[in-house]
Amino acid sequence: MSDLPFEEAVYWTLIDLANAFLTGTFIGGYYAILSMGLALSFGVMRLVNLAHGEFLIVGAYLSAVILQILPIPPFFVLIVVVPIMFGIGYALQRFLLNHVSVQAMERRGMSANFGLMAPILVTFGLGIFISHLLFAIFATDAMSIKNSLAFSAIRLSMDLSISTLRFIFFLVAIAMLILLQVFLRYSATGRAIRAASDNPTYAALMGIRTDHIFAIALGISLAISGVAGFMIGMTRTFQPFDGPQFILVAFGVVIIGGMNSITGSLVGGILLGIVQVLAGTYFGPSAQLVGGYMLVLAVLAFFREGLFSR
Amino acid sequence: MSTLVRKGNLFSQPGRDGQYPILTVENLSAWYGELQALFDVGFSVNTGEVVSVIGANGAGKSTLLRSITGMMNRGKTAKIEGRIDCQGRRLDKLRTEKIVETGVTMVPEGRMLFQRMTVSENLLVGAHLPRAREMAPEKLEEIFAFFPRLSERKNQPVSQMSGGEQQMVAIGRALMSQPSVILFDELSLGLAPIIVDDIYEKVRQINQSGVTCLVIEQDMRRALDVADYVLVMLEGRIVLDGRPEELSVDAITDAYFGTHEAGGHA
Ligand SMILES: Nc1ncnc2c1ncn2[C@@H]1O[C@H](COP(=O)(O)OP(=O)(O)OP(=O)(O)O)[C@@H](O)[C@H]1O
Ligand SMILES: [Mg+2]
Repeated sequence: MSDLPFEEAVYWTLIDLANAFLTGTFIGGYYAILSMGLALSFGVMRLVNLAHGEFLIVGAYLSAVILQILPIPPFFVLIVVVPIMFGIGYALQRFLLNHVSVQAMERRGMSANFGLMAPILVTFGLGIFISHLLFAIFATDAMSIKNSLAFSAIRLSMDLSISTLRFIFFLVAIAMLILLQVFLRYSATGRAIRAASDNPTYAALMGIRTDHIFAIALGISLAISGVAGFMIGMTRTFQPFDGPQFILVAFGVVIIGGMNSITGSLVGGILLGIVQVLAGTYFGPSAQLVGGYMLVLAVLAFFREGLFSR
Repeated sequence: MSTLVRKGNLFSQPGRDGQYPILTVENLSAWYGELQALFDVGFSVNTGEVVSVIGANGAGKSTLLRSITGMMNRGKTAKIEGRIDCQGRRLDKLRTEKIVETGVTMVPEGRMLFQRMTVSENLLVGAHLPRAREMAPEKLEEIFAFFPRLSERKNQPVSQMSGGEQQMVAIGRALMSQPSVILFDELSLGLAPIIVDDIYEKVRQINQSGVTCLVIEQDMRRALDVADYVLVMLEGRIVLDGRPEELSVDAITDAYFGTHEAGGHA
């Protein structure tokens, strides 16, 4: 450092910062998609879905396997993966989780705090079941989705570039966020989801079938996780027991952004991304995760409910 | 006039005054766990009428409406027995979302709006039923014409509105489903008398437009004013009923407070 002329040192400092912010921001889009489903299911049903990480991995395997069978361009696999994941989520909520939901517990006269526990335990068990099922099918061979974009980058200047995939994921995250908000705000089903979330008893008085509506909500949550799983497969290898490391990221993001805020998951994702990259740049790779979790702790300390919680 | 006090279940035969009843309740009992809140309640409401139910706190008025709208079937602890019919459909075994499809809806005690949604959104959720959804845009305009105050506050979250305005949203939300019967639970709760006058004027207009109304009201004068027929409840039973002009204030007061056995004529 000290050998460099002053102008050059300033230049590299700025480049490092710009890199950290750019890379962090674009990683944030990917993080947002990893977490959006978790924020949605918590926001709508107060469901703390501990199997969220495993569903991401299911999405990754589903994408990879279908792409091995069908010779289509990678992104087209989503046309199949998204509906399948939606179906799994719908069925899961309709036939299992509705019976152990916070709302079901409240109907039985339990307090909300106590009622929160039942679905947590059930999804915890479900996560273990899913990872072992994946293990039984695929063993521990690391899998990934082969694609030509994995190592391509968009050059912004001589010393600044961003990964093409991250850039695409960022755009996808923004598109999904807008789509989801428009759906929740302006469609009859979206309004029904919000009404059922607000007060299921009186939503029923409006003719809303809350069982069906909650099932749609988890369907959407898993459909998003399907997209996220595909993105995991596009950028790295994965194994059946990788779920927990992703749910940690997702929890970090929703704690920063606000447990029930979908917009918060984008902001939370970007903040987490930037802090991680900054920590990594200045304190070495091992500081990345630590830096991220320090941000999570800081948000918890100063904004109990996250930055965007309603 | 305490001889007018009669015990429940008078109208198990549909057809009071030779008219066709739109809503019939027979031998209805209701429980919250071990606690019985309704005992063998029976009455009928004729098409186009306003029937008022009056009674002291805890008499079972809200439980009666909750039973009709299927809300006593939702939990594991609450349950009902008896029979409820509306427009040829049996309601007592149906779920709430099916009951409202038959044309019954309720403006619940405490309004129970969707707090995180705006005025328009609350109203639109009221039109969730397939039969109402198509007409929702026209109906929404009708409601805004009916309650001009709401049209000025379309996009305001309901949590930021006054009690009276919230009550208007609750009534509008019920109207959005295009019901034939509306059950109103304590419209006047927590509202200034002037606003309550307005609201009851609206109820009268809603009734004149052809909607049958079952109105729960603690304020005896208002209940009698608006009603074609009155039911007085005491401790889970209907203890007096009749046309407002047939009932003396003494008889109603006695029934309301349960003082008829003590004589009443001091
Ligand atoms: N959720 C509940 N759980 C247990 N008991 C209940 C519940 N709701 C009402 N009760 C009981 O049932 C009885 C009838 O209550 P209800 O709410 O129907 O009375 P009400 O006539 O509507 O009274 P108010 O004028 O105060 O609204 C009361 O004794 C009440 O304590
Ligand atoms: Mg009541």
